[in-house]
Amino acid sequence: MSTYSQKPGTGPVISDEDFLKFKEFFYRRTGIDFETSKRYFVDKRLVGRIEATHTDTFRSYFTFLRFQASGEELQQLTNVMTVNETYFLREEYQFRCLVDSILPEIAGRKAGAEKIRIWCIPSSTGEEPYSIAMYLLEHWPGINQWDVEIISSDIDTSVLRRARAGRYSERSIKKLPAHWLRKYFTSVGDDYQLCDDLREAVEFTRVNLSETADTIKYRNFDVIFCRNLLIYFDDLSRKAATDTFYEALNPGGYICLGHSESMSRTSSLFKVVKFPDAIVYRKSLESK
Amino acid sequence: MGLVKGKPTTSTGKPERANCEELKASLDNPDASIRRHSAQKVLHCPDAVKALATRLKREKDVAVREAILASMGQINNSEVVEELVECLRSDDAALCNEAIETLKLLTTDVSSALKSLLADPDPDLRIFAVNIIESRCDPDVERMLIGVIERDINVNVCATAVDLLCEVGTEAAFDPILQLKGRFASEAYIQFAADLALKRIREI
Amino acid sequence: MKRILVVDDAATVRMYHRGILESSGYTVEEAWNGIEALEKALESPFDLYVVDVNMPKLDGYGFLRELRQQDMPQQPAIMVSTESAARDEIVAYKAGANGFLIKPLRPIQLLTYVRLMLGEAIQ
Repeated sequence: MSTYSQKPGTGPVISDEDFLKFKEFFYRRTGIDFETSKRYFVDKRLVGRIEATHTDTFRSYFTFLRFQASGEELQQLTNVMTVNETYFLREEYQFRCLVDSILPEIAGRKAGAEKIRIWCIPSSTGEEPYSIAMYLLEHWPGINQWDVEIISSDIDTSVLRRARAGRYSERSIKKLPAHWLRKYFTSVGDDYQLCDDLREAVEFTRVNLSETADTIKYRNFDVIFCRNLLIYFDDLSRKAATDTFYEALNPGGYICLGHSESMSRTSSLFKVVKFPDAIVYRKSLESK
Repeated sequence: MGLVKGKPTTSTGKPERANCEELKASLDNPDASIRRHSAQKVLHCPDAVKALATRLKREKDVAVREAILASMGQINNSEVVEELVECLRSDDAALCNEAIETLKLLTTDVSSALKSLLADPDPDLRIFAVNIIESRCDPDVERMLIGVIERDINVNVCATAVDLLCEVGTEAAFDPILQLKGRFASEAYIQFAADLALKRIREI
Repeated sequence: MKRILVVDDAATVRMYHRGILESSGYTVEEAWNGIEALEKALESPFDLYVVDVNMPKLDGYGFLRELRQQDMPQQPAIMVSTESAARDEIVAYKAGANGFLIKPLRPIQLLTYVRLMLGEAIQ
């Protein structure tokens, strides 16, 4: 007899085999692997999607999910299965990798007069590009010798507006060291206002990654941060986006994806590189 | 020094206006980035598929191959299907896998190509056909897989099909899977995969 | 406890190999293709790799070639293929495989090769 993690009669139930079937499918498509310890988390969300799609049972839901040509339900499902909040210094180990490994390597190759250019997409409400800016100022000695441009883009103009404004709640700043908070922010009621110097250091732009007309202007970057975005794209859009990043990077340029993301479901264009703090991807030095 | 405000546009080169003959010729340019750009642009030219496929078979640079396949994927017609199926016969494992992936992404009709691949004397080609079936979103998928496990004589072709039935198999596949178990009674992997598929169908 | 990475795009095959290896006391992790395998190997190198040939994005040969270029201790790899033509075996060894087996594997076959590669007693 298979076992269930919910009481029968309380709605759709997810059996052990259902969970395994889902787990394998989801892992194959997204690279995200749920351990059995995450059973409750997964089952709850599956039940939510079964109800939202009016499919009644896991079996019918799975058939719907599996055979839907547009892939929309998979994207919806991915959305609910992944935690996607933004705050300063999220996945900080990559910023450490940036200053300890990536930038020294790039600076070692580039001529002194050149700029170092970083593209951060999606910008969301700005926590990520501003984190990079602060991290460079606080932790990268090279910032005194090099000009660094940080450009950050998003498809959503309302988040871009908020990013430019630089006003944040307690939730966003929770991981920041106290002295950074004092140095770069001022208190405004319950919120924190980022200082003008830093707000002016990042260029925010509107970009739809699927629009060649938008992305064609993005070239000659040394580092691209694209964290927790591609996972929500369908296969074709993801491939197109990766292609865009390839064109946008200088030879030897790097891409950092999100913690649970990988190029393995997307593209073999980039070389996998291990640094002490992170695994990142690099465009070949011989390419143009 | 320090953080400076930048802009996306760093160079405003004039858009190139190469003609089709030039583009096709550039597919053989010694510079990989030129080949890549030609592969991206040539898709609008007549005879593009032939030119792209010819280049693909010789191309060693991963970025150029991806661009060629992306263009073929966008052209997305029966000529592309034919050329990609041809690639499946190559000795180059990477080329075969890339061809499979691109065939999986096409929305044009591949059913007649699949039908002839499933009847090919080479078992590896029949396996590739099952791999391509995996991506189809039509109700015929299970029927095709059942057909394979009922008729194919090669253990690995059947293994690939029953694998897929672990995910998409319904009651209709139950008896055919039981029969497959009987046909390959001494193959441990077939017993394993078949039992898993049966368990998933009936949760026994 | 020796760690083995099983690399195959078919979930059932990975499960099958995992079952065989775990019941003999090995710790098993899985990867769906060559890129994921490389990422896992770079993160934490394994004692042995069982690698399928045909996988999307980066196949078994590509994975082995990349692995063999890395600056880390090089551990044995068994390539597993459905093709039985002699050329594939040579390609596999050139890419950096230490063993080459034809699918589908019988449990005793896989275990014997694994023990051989790891320098363990063959029962």
